[in-house]
Parts: sequence; C-alpha cells; structure tokens
Amino acid sequence: MIPQLVTVRRRRRDGRWSRLFVPVLPVLLVLSPLLLLAVLVALVACLVFRVSAVGALRGTGQLLCALPGTRFEIEHGRTAVSVSVR
Amino acid sequence: MNEQRRQILQMLAEGKITADEAERLIDALEREQPESPSGATPRLKPRPKYLRVVVSSEDNFGGDGPGRVNVRVPLQLLRAGVRLTSLIPAQALTQVNAELSKSGVPIDLTQLKPQHIEELIEQLDDVTIDVDQPDAKVQVFCE
Repeated sequence: MIPQLVTVRRRRRDGRWSRLFVPVLPVLLVLSPLLLLAVLVALVACLVFRVSAVGALRGTGQLLCALPGTRFEIEHGRTAVSVSVR
Repeated sequence: MNEQRRQILQMLAEGKITADEAERLIDALEREQPESPSGATPRLKPRPKYLRVVVSSEDNFGGDGPGRVNVRVPLQLLRAGVRLTSLIPAQALTQVNAELSKSGVPIDLTQLKPQHIEELIEQLDDVTIDVDQPDAKVQVFCE
C-alpha cells in the first residue's frame, strides 16, 4: 500500500505548532503529467546506463510501499520539525 | 500424547512392530519435534518492524537549548533500499571502488551482494547500540 498521508509538523520559537497534511494520492493525481514525464526520463536514463528498467520500477514501487510508518522528529531547543508518513 | 506416538504404540500393541522398532521410532519422533521443558509451546517473540535511532544532545547550540533527533524507519524500507542497490551498474561500482581506494578506504563493493545485506538486515532484530556520553546519547534499536 502506498503512503496515504504525509504529516509535516513544525514548532516555532514561540512554541506554536503548525501542521501540514499532504494527502499523497490526490497530490500524485495533480502531478501525474509531471510524474509521467519523470518516469519517461527515468526509463531513458535506465537505457543509457544499462540498468534494468523493470527492476528499477519494481524497486521504486517497493520503496514507496515500504514508506508508511516512517517518522522523523528533530527538536532543537524550542523549535522542532516532525515528518510522519502514514 | 500426540497422534504419531499413539500410532506407534498401537502398532506395537498389534504386534506389527517390535519393542525395539517402536523405541527407535519414538526416539526419531522426539528428535523431529523437541518438546519445550515446560511442555508448553514456546511463545514466539514478535518480529520487530521498525529501526529506531534516537539522538539526544544536551549541547546548547546558540542558546536554543538541547537537541533531539528521533527517527523511525520501517525495516521493510531498508530491505527495499537494499534491493535497489542491486541495480547499480558494475562500472559504477568499479569507479566507486577506485575513489574509495584513493581516499584510503579499500572496500570492494562488488563483493557486497544484496543477499548479504539482506541477511544483515534480518539479523538487525537483535541489535541494540547505546552510546552514552556526558553531553549526548545515541540509541539504535529495533522495535
């Protein structure tokens, strides 16, 4: 299952949290023309560098599917950033 | 008593096998299914799903206060990443090896096969790293 929601949280110096929820699927749909272009460029790059295109696609898919559950939290004094993939 | 042991004793009672043969069969059965000392089935330890890296620093950088980094990465993501490394072309690995040698790190990456790294990740389950310093603490573990 690909990630569904990416949450970016940021704590400012004044202690207030700001949250940004990124729904992955709608964003992917909006960016699909660019994504298609990126996939084409990646396929050409695979051919140029003699890398298995199918393997690369499969590997990228597996990487994407393994992303849910990832969480990064960085706190520095009163500021903090947190990125969570669900 | 389990079913196979009962069958062996049944055959012994019916005279189909001798006592010696029955003993050998039961021994073989016990070797095949070793019982736990308590007789109960051993509880399997749940497999960890995430690799956690926690870094706490008491250093007061720029007067902001202490810092903390908390990273949780699914082990599945590590496995997927390792599989991707198998796509690196051989000539690129050769170039990387040459640069590593120049930098004084004589590691031959062509000898590092994906299955070796996968085995390494499989064994990560039991790894716990704790680095304690007066002003910083690093913990790496699986959960």
